[in-house]
Amino acid sequence: MSSPQQFPPREATVQEALQWISEGRCSSHDLVSRYLDFLETEGKELGAIVETFEAEALAAAKLSDKRREQGELLGPLDGIPFTAKMNITTAVGTTDASSAMLVGFEAGEDATVVRRLLGGGAVLVGKTSCDEFAMGATNETSCHGVVANPWDRSRVPGGSSGGAAALAGSHGWAFHLGSDTGGSIRLPAAFCSATGLKPTWGRVSRSGLIAFGSSLDQIGPIARDASDCALVLDCIEGADPLDSTSLHQLDESRDPIEKVALVSEGFGSGIDDSIREAVRAAAQEMEQHGVEVTEVSLPQLHAANACYQVIATAEASSNLARYDGIHVGSRVAADDLQLLYEKSRRAGFGVEVRRRILLGTFVLSAGYRDSYYSRAQAVRDLIREGVDHALEQVDALLLPVSPFAPFPIGERIDDPIALYACDILTVTANLAGVPALALPCGFDEAGLPIGMQLMGARGSDHRLLQFGQQWQQWTAHHRELPVGGAS
Amino acid sequence: MSWQTVVGLEIHAQMATRSKMFCSCRRETGLDPNHNICPVCTGWPGALPVINEAAVRCAIRAAICLDCTIQRESRFDRKNYFYPDLPKGYQISQFYRPYALGGAISFEREDATADRLPLVRIHMEEDAGKSIHASDGTSRIDLNRCSSPLLEIVTEPLGMSGIEAASCVRSLRHLLRWVGVSDGDMEKGNLRCDVNVSVRPDASAELGTRTELKNLNSFVSIQRSVEVESKRQIEVLEKGGTIRQETRLWDQDLEVTEEMRSKEDSPDYRYFPEPDLPVIVIEQQDIDRERQSLPELPAERYRELVDDLGLDPKEALPILARRENCEFFAALLEAGLSATSASNWFRGEVLRHLNDRSERIDQYPLAAEAIAVVVKAVEEDRISVGKGREILQQALDEQRDPNEILSESGEQISDESALVGWITTVLSENPEAVNKIKSGDSKPMGFLMGQVMKASSGQAHPRLAQDLLQKMIEQD
Repeated sequence: MSSPQQFPPREATVQEALQWISEGRCSSHDLVSRYLDFLETEGKELGAIVETFEAEALAAAKLSDKRREQGELLGPLDGIPFTAKMNITTAVGTTDASSAMLVGFEAGEDATVVRRLLGGGAVLVGKTSCDEFAMGATNETSCHGVVANPWDRSRVPGGSSGGAAALAGSHGWAFHLGSDTGGSIRLPAAFCSATGLKPTWGRVSRSGLIAFGSSLDQIGPIARDASDCALVLDCIEGADPLDSTSLHQLDESRDPIEKVALVSEGFGSGIDDSIREAVRAAAQEMEQHGVEVTEVSLPQLHAANACYQVIATAEASSNLARYDGIHVGSRVAADDLQLLYEKSRRAGFGVEVRRRILLGTFVLSAGYRDSYYSRAQAVRDLIREGVDHALEQVDALLLPVSPFAPFPIGERIDDPIALYACDILTVTANLAGVPALALPCGFDEAGLPIGMQLMGARGSDHRLLQFGQQWQQWTAHHRELPVGGAS
Repeated sequence: MSWQTVVGLEIHAQMATRSKMFCSCRRETGLDPNHNICPVCTGWPGALPVINEAAVRCAIRAAICLDCTIQRESRFDRKNYFYPDLPKGYQISQFYRPYALGGAISFEREDATADRLPLVRIHMEEDAGKSIHASDGTSRIDLNRCSSPLLEIVTEPLGMSGIEAASCVRSLRHLLRWVGVSDGDMEKGNLRCDVNVSVRPDASAELGTRTELKNLNSFVSIQRSVEVESKRQIEVLEKGGTIRQETRLWDQDLEVTEEMRSKEDSPDYRYFPEPDLPVIVIEQQDIDRERQSLPELPAERYRELVDDLGLDPKEALPILARRENCEFFAALLEAGLSATSASNWFRGEVLRHLNDRSERIDQYPLAAEAIAVVVKAVEEDRISVGKGREILQQALDEQRDPNEILSESGEQISDESALVGWITTVLSENPEAVNKIKSGDSKPMGFLMGQVMKASSGQAHPRLAQDLLQKMIEQD
């Protein structure tokens, strides 16, 4: 009976792992147990995982195995391990958004996405680190410490869903819930060679997501490949009575993507040569497979980052007002109310979060509102129109995720402008509310991952994912694992 | 020099919905502090507001009966400020695009002429919690009221007196209660009023600088604060001073207004569109549906009562005070009473009972049909008016059916020989009273009549007994 325990290869996708389980080559319990080992060792070394739920996860995996035996699976993800970002509420463990302000905060309830996944039998194994309140592009602002890039541990994994992407980039079998306000799923996915989707705004319920910029925030999957992301999206998408901005009618179209346009502005100065080349090469690859590739200019893109900084910080300044030391969040005692607010917020929030709150407060203030917030809203309309117009001509827009490769930890953290530059190519999808899929498309000379993104029309999430699956059948970039990561 | 006082009102009315504005907590008062709260109304991280559609329907009804123009598209905004009873750090309100514009409150001038106070707008918003500051310097926070649904009704400025300002709010409250939009209880805080006051040399001059008086919670304080504040402003101006735009507090014990904060110190609320809520779309059919569900408005009922049923306007007003009163009155008519007797008995008995018992008509235990049976017994001369009243009172006191009491207490006796018997006894027992009456003092007449009724155990037919008594004394 006792044969040496076998596991799927480390890079195996969720679907491949499911294949192993369904063929009886390993159980969900085995898989989850082994994955927990990975989290406890490498996951913690990377700084990617903050909490694991071993007892709960193993018990859930056992139940899943029992269901499988009885042919009563709850859904296609039954028995598969997953993690949630620290800004997504879970009934077990804590949800602190990686902020000292909320350390130890027990939400007591599962976010809608988590509830749906658990209802589908998926196994919650832990919570991943992220930038504080999801504000950052490097995962250096987490109160749980810096997360390392598995491809070069001296470099950043990208942010803010850095923990999730670092795990997905270095190990398969599982999927991860991230959130994306200005690129927080796609940037770390690109930096860590993982696949990540920022869904159409409203496609996935935000109920249970600790808000940053509500009109931009979306929860989405980070996984090994596009078909895993599609499985996850199938489970988490759809109207939610707890989020009245969730879409009641989803675009169910699965028409193949036949026309793709390169966005010129994504290939201009300021973008690394190796990245431009890798994404152009990807476009050629697509062409060879019969995709019609053209090029469009989206001049609005130049204004996107400024526009994003104004809107995201404005909403953040309001969303984070509730952490006032009175109700939720850590309190520093003081003799009067004003001091209590000031001391609690100064102690609880990190530098970057304070910077954004101040910026957001400023752009909404009387006398400045018209020059900043109102103008940004007008620019946002133009960006939306520009993107919509471009997507009337083609099925998807193609551009790099990041202008540069993963950079050394500490390089940009004290230079907010350099930090915000990470977002220049990703924020457009959030401002326009359209879906964007980040896919690995190669490596630079230093062996660091390069990611590209496809933006589609609102609602075309599954078309993008389907195209991503196709792309990943043509290429093998997404199969790569960091050296030393082989099991 | 004669001055004109100009008043603008901002009225907050809590809507009478079952649940709160953005969550499913019940809209209730009187519960233990912080026992009627949920993640949404307390701003728990990750919780999102969801618009209570019943509140929007309620708001539509208010806008219809105030003649507002309802906007097809409106939107919620965030009003940002820090205060411990505001757990999210912002209040969800409608600032840029309120759901209703224009309209007016009909009210009565001091000279009894009708006038209209034009509205700027009505918007929906959520209430904050309550801070309770104890005398020992500690403060407590009760979040039960958080996210209760409010309407804020903002009027244009109009020349009027303090009495007239109070009359506007009274009229508004009447209407909101009538259509079930708000309970309108000022003492419970579900109707609150801010008053903007300015004065100008005469009615044709430009508007003067206004001051705002916050959170007036009675009609008297509305009236008096306007009177006191306009007098203060006139005094300042007449001494050559100027009025600063500021927010002032009304001290109802001292009857003075005190500076609270100047315009420069007023908070910057940093309004912006609430990204967690979709645009509210109100279609014509939504408005039509609410219009159909509205009860007849007081003006229409007034016409019915006065023009069709011939009641005196003075009689009609107490019936119109609440829609439920009108419905009870209608039920009396339905039960076969004439307008006059329904009006008499309703005003004379039912309203007096309610007053005695501090109840509202919807808490009144007697059914209109039961009252009508008693009234008919009176009108058919089977019992006396006094007996009728007595039966109703007894029914209330003993929580019984008036019909039952009616059937127990024998019918009125008109038989002359029986009446003569009682009167004879009474006259012989009270010779002094009889003598007084004979000498021209008619006062003891009532006393004797009372004795006759007593002797008959209340069954003597009062009018016949009265006539007979008179005749027998004269013949004595």
